[in-house]
Amino acid sequence: MKFRSLLLKNITRNKTRSSLAILGIAIGVATILGLGLVTNDLAESTQNALTADAADFSVVYGTTGGGGGQGGAPGGGSSPGGQQLINETKVTEIQQISGVSKAVGVLRTNVDLNDTSNSTSSTTSSSTTSDSDGNMGQGGQGALQMMYSVIGIDSSDLSLDDIVITNGTAFSSENEVIIGEMAAGSLNKTIGDTITISNQTFTIVGIYETGNFQDDSGVVMSLDKLQNLTGNTGMVSLILVKASNGTDATSLAETIEDTYSNELTTSTSLSGMDRMNNGLEVIESASWAVTLLTLLIGSIVVVVTMVKSVVERTREIGVLKAVGWTSKRILTMIIGESVVLSLLAAIVGIVIGVGVVEIISMAQIIPGIQPAFSPILFLEAFLVAILLGIIGGIYPAYRASKLSPTEALRYE
Amino acid sequence: MNNESNIIEIKNLKKGYDHGQTMALNGINLEIKKGEFVSLMGPSGSGKSTLLNMIGALDRADEGSIHVAGYNLMEKEDFSQFRSKEIGFIFQFHNLIPNLTVSENVQIPMLETDVADEEMVKRANKILESLNMGHRIDHLPTKLSGGERQRVAIGRALVNHPSIILADEPTGSLDSKTGDIILKILREIHQKENVTLILVTHEPYVAEMADRKINLMDGKIS
Ligand SMILES: Nc1ncnc2c1ncn2[C@@H]1O[C@H](COP(=O)(O)OP(=O)(O)OP(=O)(O)O)[C@@H](O)[C@H]1O
Ligand SMILES: [Mg+2]
Repeated sequence: MKFRSLLLKNITRNKTRSSLAILGIAIGVATILGLGLVTNDLAESTQNALTADAADFSVVYGTTGGGGGQGGAPGGGSSPGGQQLINETKVTEIQQISGVSKAVGVLRTNVDLNDTSNSTSSTTSSSTTSDSDGNMGQGGQGALQMMYSVIGIDSSDLSLDDIVITNGTAFSSENEVIIGEMAAGSLNKTIGDTITISNQTFTIVGIYETGNFQDDSGVVMSLDKLQNLTGNTGMVSLILVKASNGTDATSLAETIEDTYSNELTTSTSLSGMDRMNNGLEVIESASWAVTLLTLLIGSIVVVVTMVKSVVERTREIGVLKAVGWTSKRILTMIIGESVVLSLLAAIVGIVIGVGVVEIISMAQIIPGIQPAFSPILFLEAFLVAILLGIIGGIYPAYRASKLSPTEALRYE
Repeated sequence: MNNESNIIEIKNLKKGYDHGQTMALNGINLEIKKGEFVSLMGPSGSGKSTLLNMIGALDRADEGSIHVAGYNLMEKEDFSQFRSKEIGFIFQFHNLIPNLTVSENVQIPMLETDVADEEMVKRANKILESLNMGHRIDHLPTKLSGGERQRVAIGRALVNHPSIILADEPTGSLDSKTGDIILKILREIHQKENVTLILVTHEPYVAEMADRKINLMDGKIS
């Protein structure tokens, strides 16, 4: 008989208890694995959207006192209804303010790209609502109609608006556009395809991601072109501002608001990147907390299971010592048993974890989650299990190995 | 050791429990020759099991000296190797491992030695055959009768070819007929293998079978 077959036989001895322990640890392993799969995915997509030089705040038309400050964050929210445009000269002016590293004008509009005959909705102050809900009602073409954002920005300033090209290149001529990942998916467009906006045909040269749902359902072209297209030459919807190093963005925003107190207001809400990073940090620390908790619970399960098993076998351990087993071998046996138990649990846990994550991603319970399976994650699951087995096994094994043989043999 | 033919030499051995309130052994002097068959009698609580445990190095005495098979058992070291090589324990209760087969139970003591896997199986089964248990090697102990279980326990005690067998009331849990079969087996082993046998019993007629009878009373030989 081999020592390892003894370990296996000892585990299958109390099947109910072992199964329960395996299930308990397996749920822990599954939780850790599931969290890993999901956070890996989140981290991956966020990484793509990480733009270190995104703008700190945006400047929109409005008075500081009344209803201002609701302007969309860079790459963020919808354009406010009744959007007032800003003259491009303001961009140059703001660029001159000390502490401004960069000021970039952006024109935004919404368009129904499914209906190619449709022209861009007006971006002038006369337009009524331009958020997607409003347009759906207005268009009256049924619920399937969907609005897409069209953003005009110079191709060298894309990063300021959190726009990251994931495929292809930026636009270099007036006839070229880049398309958001969501829009590319829903319109079934890819690089090389053409797209018609306001009766003009554009070639798609790149696909971008912002990490923001609304902006990802959009198209980006050069500022000049969008200004032409919408008849808004020399006008922008908002100005993205990045503070220079060492300048406090909040006080810079206040300075700008003071300078243009009757015209412009700023939106100092976090940039998309910051929001996403914060979110990811929260998720990551939460997943760490859950992981630690799971490890704790898992090792308690192992300890309880193995202590019970050792107590039950007290006499037997006395016999093992009487026939010449060393304390070390008894220690090895108990730790070995708990490691085998945990490894079995790891296999069960991986099956449960992958299954649950697959179901979640297939059922689209959390939209956009694509489990990031990696060999390292599975290796981690096994390492966690081995660790649990060893940590949880140490105390019961120590207890067993330190049993006095005479006491153990007298045990009833 | 003074006498080469003595496998066990015990002088003034004392062992107390509960901080000396119970003196389980209170000055034992005993010499046992190699190959001798000694029976140990005495009322309950007189220290028979305690003495056996001292000889088998399952516990350490408080005072005196004890030498067994060349080992000084008063040393503060681990005697698992000594037990593995020199001692075969047989208890009143078989203490077999219920989830292991008869053969595997007999192999357990060999896991601490460097005997190869197949050799373990061979040796265990050979001993079991000699104990008339050859047809039971793959059974679980729960399927066996009391006498059969005790035979497996004897097999386990013998498998490492010990020089001393310590049997603590091996027939205590058996009916007299089955008990007699076990005693017969033990005597045969003693004669054939020239193994030293110390047998604790409550039955005077069993004690009579031994080369020498020793009586214990309140932790002393009387
Ligand atoms: N581990 C222990 N802790 C406390 N007291 C003990 C312990 N082991 C033995 N004793 C005491 O030591 C004395 C001798 O016990 P021992 O078991 O050696 O007797 P015994 O002769 O084998 O008795 P029996 O015939 O009932 O088996 C008894 O009084 C017993 O209660
Ligand atoms: Mg006794």
